[in-house]
Amino acid sequence: MSDILTMEEVAPESEDLSAQDGAMGSVTRSGEYEVRLPDLDPETLSGQLVVIEGPDGSGRSTQIKLLTEWLEGRGHAVQTMGLRRSRLLAPNIDALLGSNEIQPLTMALLYATDFCDQLANRIIPALQGGFVVLADRYVYTLITRAAVRGLDRDYLSTVYEFAMDPDLLFYLDLSPTLAFERLFEKQNSVSFWETGRDLDLSPNLYESFVEYQQMLREEFGVQTEERSLSLIDGGQTVPEVNRRLRESIAELLDIDDISYEPSDELLPIWNL
Amino acid sequence: MNKTEQALETDSHSPNDGGQPKQKRDYPGALVVVEGIDGSGKSTQLYLLRRWLELNKYKVHFTEWNSSPLVASATSRGKKERMLTPTTFSMIHAADFADRCERQIIPLLSAGYLVLADRYLYTGIARDGARGMPVDWVRSLYGFAPKPDLTFYFRGSVEVSLRRILGGRSQLSYHEAGMDMGFSLNPIESFRIFQGRIQQQYDAMVEGDGFVQIDALKPVADQQEQVRQVVESRIDLSKFAPNRGER
Repeated sequence: MSDILTMEEVAPESEDLSAQDGAMGSVTRSGEYEVRLPDLDPETLSGQLVVIEGPDGSGRSTQIKLLTEWLEGRGHAVQTMGLRRSRLLAPNIDALLGSNEIQPLTMALLYATDFCDQLANRIIPALQGGFVVLADRYVYTLITRAAVRGLDRDYLSTVYEFAMDPDLLFYLDLSPTLAFERLFEKQNSVSFWETGRDLDLSPNLYESFVEYQQMLREEFGVQTEERSLSLIDGGQTVPEVNRRLRESIAELLDIDDISYEPSDELLPIWNL
Repeated sequence: MNKTEQALETDSHSPNDGGQPKQKRDYPGALVVVEGIDGSGKSTQLYLLRRWLELNKYKVHFTEWNSSPLVASATSRGKKERMLTPTTFSMIHAADFADRCERQIIPLLSAGYLVLADRYLYTGIARDGARGMPVDWVRSLYGFAPKPDLTFYFRGSVEVSLRRILGGRSQLSYHEAGMDMGFSLNPIESFRIFQGRIQQQYDAMVEGDGFVQIDALKPVADQQEQVRQVVESRIDLSKFAPNRGER
């Protein structure tokens, strides 16, 4: 298990999110893990965990598709994960999000369960098998969302203590205005949850969206204050962001050649 | 002050204050909890207590473990497909319990009810502990729950529980017997081991959590008499008496 890399440079215009240069050495994966899942020997986790965080519209899933193709082309086995994708709970969470019958704490714990199920059934087996796990968001987003809804941060951190630290953590930073524009271009609307409408910030969806995204960004900064975080300007083009990601991942995996030509299939998202 | 600032202000709470930022609230209601291993007779005792209170027209509400419709379907799917690990098992029950707390117990306590709970967070701690989860972590997970005013622990014996359960139905349920733990391929033997471990977990909580221990091997009516006496001495029942607060 290689140590977590600390990235030296961050996107220049992203000044106030706590990007960590030379941050304190993150706790190794094994340190926390042992305590939580009694049956797991952290030594067996030979793979690498790469987490890409960032707001809605920042291009995380696009980048993960491209990185998967690049890594597989280089002979690395890839497993992906995202929030709300567990077999156990995803259907329930989907249904609950569509209803008004859910309170913040319960929702936070359901997301935590969903995450834990994926950890046990998807991430751990992949890491044990030496895969590169590409995570489309991780515990930081989950804690952030719950924290802006008034739940206690220390409590949330304790709940998620079973999650191992990533080898690489990226944040694709994007201004709420640009995020709004991208979401509208893509889906011609913004959703109830993307705008944080449950927080009753403003009846105006644009204003609600901007305020909510700012709250999330700020809280995310607090959540990751003590971690090595690579901040990437998500406002750049897809190829530019992808190159930044490949550089860091290549260093982690000792890949010498970071060049990449997307397949015809992925060209549409590359040229987005 | 905007909501972000409010969120930031929760910083100083200890983990045990739980997910609810409004900590250490005093509720006008009261919470009475029964705990014990499967087949200890605690549900019968709580039922008798409830009937007594209801017949005397006290303002009571009954709630039980694992009853939330929101989460129940996921729990049963997880159990049926046997895809729950000890950690997910622990978390899904905490989520279920959180739902019960947020939508039933806390509002009822706030509305001044005498709330009777068949199993409470100690069930989660005891079961998860028996499954090898770190007890401190599980306790933190349940940190959001209001502390009961009175907790009865019905302490029987695993053998008696086994006989009672097998007398009432043909076989033990998979999780009740702790079959997911691989203690034994024989459900009865597995039940003995698993419920024995749960009982140990309960025993360890008696002092720290202030359980009132009831000898569950005594006759039902004797136990109930003791329960009612303790309730009368420890809970101010006049607060829940009929006509109180009405015109």
